[in-house]
Amino acid sequence: MTKTFSFYLKKEFKNHLFDYLLLITAGVFFLILLNIFRGQRVSEFIVLISFAFFYIIWGVYHHIMNKTLHLKTVVEYILIAFIIIFLLKIIVLP
Amino acid sequence: MQKLKNFIHNLFIPHEENNFRAKSLHTDFLTIYLAIAFLMTIIFKQGNLYNVLGFATDISVEKLYQLTNEQRQKNNLSSLSLNSNLSLAAQKKAENMFQNNYWSHYGDGKTPWDFILDAGYKYEYAGENLAKNFLFNNGVVDAWMNSTTHRDNLLKREYTEVGYAIVNGVLNGEQTTLVVQMFGTPLSGSFSPPPIQAKEPILPEAKPIVENKPQQILAQKTFQPKINFLNFSFNLNVVFMTFLLLALILDFYFASKFNIIRTGGKNTAHFLFIIFVLVGLFMSTIGAII
Repeated sequence: MTKTFSFYLKKEFKNHLFDYLLLITAGVFFLILLNIFRGQRVSEFIVLISFAFFYIIWGVYHHIMNKTLHLKTVVEYILIAFIIIFLLKIIVLP
Repeated sequence: MQKLKNFIHNLFIPHEENNFRAKSLHTDFLTIYLAIAFLMTIIFKQGNLYNVLGFATDISVEKLYQLTNEQRQKNNLSSLSLNSNLSLAAQKKAENMFQNNYWSHYGDGKTPWDFILDAGYKYEYAGENLAKNFLFNNGVVDAWMNSTTHRDNLLKREYTEVGYAIVNGVLNGEQTTLVVQMFGTPLSGSFSPPPIQAKEPILPEAKPIVENKPQQILAQKTFQPKINFLNFSFNLNVVFMTFLLLALILDFYFASKFNIIRTGGKNTAHFLFIIFVLVGLFMSTIGAII
């Protein structure tokens, strides 16, 4: 039987339920804060930066817990976080 | 053809040749993406595509005017002509909104019709649409078309002329791009009856926002985009993020399917992060109309 993308996704979430719940909670807070500070470009940017840093810390925490932490992994999280920050900066942020 | 197939395979599917990780997600590739994103930011800034307050909007009078007439033509109505007096009235109205810190059709004891008359435009019919915080022209006109009252205004048969103002400033502590659209039909005939005889102007129904904050004007400037860079940049970003999401999904799926164990970040976490940011981006681009 061919397993679907959602099957693997559910399996991944199930295996690390707490970690992903933590990330999703932070994401929801990020959206709430963006809504609160809507139009205040500097505050919006600070909220985005905070979420990006949380995401990097989450990555480090997750890989420490799973004993899979490697410098390459940390660099990957940092790169993705900063790519997204720069891309957003072009459109809506100061 | 085989080369292209191999290239795409290498780019998205984890296998032995790409060290069991989609090439597009390798650290060197991610560094290139970062460099490109950084370069785009610099070009955008150097090109002075933001105005003094750091706004990045792609709204122009020409495009709004064109889109409005397109909507009228679709509904078998005559095109409106651009009137400088109505544009002046719209400009004065926007400036007054920033000066007196209100987001409403009526404020500071003045009605839209006062601005129109003060600009030297004697009307038989007149109307006003307002919008704020939109990034693109299409968003403004679509929002108006999706609201019954604004749509009625935009598609009113009697109107023959229109004027616009796009002004940036700080409204209620929020950096705002205001769009004011004033419609009008000039009084016809050689006689000039007093304005009191004019027919009741049309306004979209809306609850005005009550502003109690003190006046807070940091800057005001009419924004005229030099080139359609923002639209280009927005589309490029969407394409880029879609590419990244696609790479993450495919890499995750095939790595899970083939039970590949490797060193690297969690695609699911990257995926969630990008999705949240995209939703945030979408939220930031939603404007408001009254």
